Amino acid sequence: MNAVLALAPRLQRAGGRDARVTTGLAITAFAVSTGLTLSVVGGLLGFAARADLPLAPGENDIRSLYESLAWVAVILLVVPLVTLGGGAARLGVARRDARLATLRLLGATPREVVGLTVAETAWQGLVGAVLGIVLYAALLPLCALLPFQGTTFTLAELWVGWQGLVIALAAVPLLAALSGAFSLRRVNVSPLGVARRETPKKMTWLRAVVAVVGIGTFMLVSAVVGALGAAAVAALLGAMAVGFATLNAVGPWVLGLVGRAQLRRAATPARLLAARRLLDDPKAAWRVVGGLGLAGFAAGALAVVPSITAVDTSQDPQGAILMDDLVTGAMVTLVVAFLLAAVSAGIAQAASVLDRRREIALLNLAGTPVELHDAVRRRTVLVPLLFVAVGSAVTALVMFFPLLGLSAVMSPEGPLMLVAFLAGGCALVFAATETSRSLLRSVLADTVVRAD
Amino acid sequence: MNTATPRLSARGLVKHFGSTTALAGVDVDLAGGESLAVMGPSGSGKSTLLHCIAGILLPDSGAVALDGREVGGLSDRERSLLRRRRYGFVFQFGQLLSELPAIENVALPAMLLGTSRRDATELAGRWLVSLGLAGMEGRRPGELSGGQAQRVAVARALITGPAVVFADEPTGALDQTTGHDVMRILTETTKAAGASLVVVTHDAQVADWCDRRIEVRDGLVRAGLVDETTAAR
Repeated sequence: MNAVLALAPRLQRAGGRDARVTTGLAITAFAVSTGLTLSVVGGLLGFAARADLPLAPGENDIRSLYESLAWVAVILLVVPLVTLGGGAARLGVARRDARLATLRLLGATPREVVGLTVAETAWQGLVGAVLGIVLYAALLPLCALLPFQGTTFTLAELWVGWQGLVIALAAVPLLAALSGAFSLRRVNVSPLGVARRETPKKMTWLRAVVAVVGIGTFMLVSAVVGALGAAAVAALLGAMAVGFATLNAVGPWVLGLVGRAQLRRAATPARLLAARRLLDDPKAAWRVVGGLGLAGFAAGALAVVPSITAVDTSQDPQGAILMDDLVTGAMVTLVVAFLLAAVSAGIAQAASVLDRRREIALLNLAGTPVELHDAVRRRTVLVPLLFVAVGSAVTALVMFFPLLGLSAVMSPEGPLMLVAFLAGGCALVFAATETSRSLLRSVLADTVVRAD
Repeated sequence: MNTATPRLSARGLVKHFGSTTALAGVDVDLAGGESLAVMGPSGSGKSTLLHCIAGILLPDSGAVALDGREVGGLSDRERSLLRRRRYGFVFQFGQLLSELPAIENVALPAMLLGTSRRDATELAGRWLVSLGLAGMEGRRPGELSGGQAQRVAVARALITGPAVVFADEPTGALDQTTGHDVMRILTETTKAAGASLVVVTHDAQVADWCDRRIEVRDGLVRAGLVDETTAAR
């Protein structure tokens, strides 16, 4: 085995408590994303299997509609899932970058450095995938309690099969390794690259153009689809995925603008530091709150469901079941989306505290009040959080307007559901980020930090 | 040595870490405006001594007083306030906040004491100019040389008008010429500001910049070197 790669386990052990916490966070993120992905795929397979069953006498065939709706849920959830998994691979990147830059200074080649990272993240991904499968197995009986199409699912319907598990065991470490390797670009450019933080390059307004084009394309496609009927559902789903990805691209740019506006008005140290931190790395801020942005987008998209279901179905039992199922499906999708957002935010925030460990400890040593660290940590989450949650929900309402018209806001239940989920989601994400408070305290308790 | 009431006084400091004795009964006095070099090899206890007299660590026994007031009885919060209001710190790598430009790094301690952002920024600008950093106000730490970053750290330590500045290996990451430049600025500006200075270093040439030096070995101030006045400059 290559001598540098052989160092991987030793370096991991030598990292001490911080390395163990970071590894634990990464594995948790991989496990949650794997477990929920398998559960979502299981649900999709369940609906697909039901679509192949023979129809009961007098029953209308709306099973393909269920399958399409399941695909909508998958598309709404796939980006938050990928975001969580990708974020896991970047955990503790500052500390790891510093360690790997040192190895580069000692003569390790770029390939060896990439290999070391790939080995580390792939291992974490593999352990996370195994735990994710355990989580999926634990969730199976709970998922089977959900009533759809007039009956609950059987475990067999929600089972992804052994091949599904094997794919998860192969795909998660692979994606983790790719994401980890991608996050190492700076180290490979220069061994000194990570030690010398420079003014970050501004994200260009091209991202806004991409967003306008993406949203416009979606609105155009959905308007055409509305005119053509259900003939182009696949195209619409594809356009929705594009819209979702667009939100992911434009989110960091918008957060950068928010940071700039905050900086101009910052009158206190906490506001100044929070604004600078947001402006310094809006992509990192998006990793914390982006999950909620995507969940907010899903909530905005699904706000139409109550207005759709507010029809008289007293003469149509099958229609009544469909309406109930639409509400249940929307709720389940949103709960999963917001849970993913909370886990993403909590893990990213904890990793941020560990990455800034030395800086925080030395500031504390110089007499900086603990409250300042807490206020900065909270402000760097809360301001983008509120902005992103509301902004993404409004974006979704605008994007879906050609398809749904005013129905999304005509029925009071839709906006109420949207507001309730956004408020609950914000509270959940905030609570998740507050878990890093104790981690911050433990960092501050370690006052004997040598500057060297 | 100044015979007036010392600005900073430590008596019989003892500090253990598990079974290791870091300080075994150290006495130190520091007069107002005086600079003191604390020397010693790695692991000798010099950084522990700095942490104890700066109120970062509490000694197991012994007393530390600032301007005659005992600080050992203060709570953790009160000691943090003391460090923020009366002390300034310079670390080996400057330890500037990477996301803040130089001027905001310097202004931050003043803002923490309640100075408005505008006034703190204005004051920070004056400090940077006086330390030869005019035109570098907007640069971030990664865009400064090691010597420039340390000068920013010196400005940050002095902006609040501290009674004592503590510098832990302030030239440890610099070449000799730059290190001397930083020590000249550190000692001159600290003295001009009326502050006392404690420099922890293992480098005799760095210690030469201070009024006085002591050497810590095995947790004790080594006899014969206490109160030795430095002649070389």
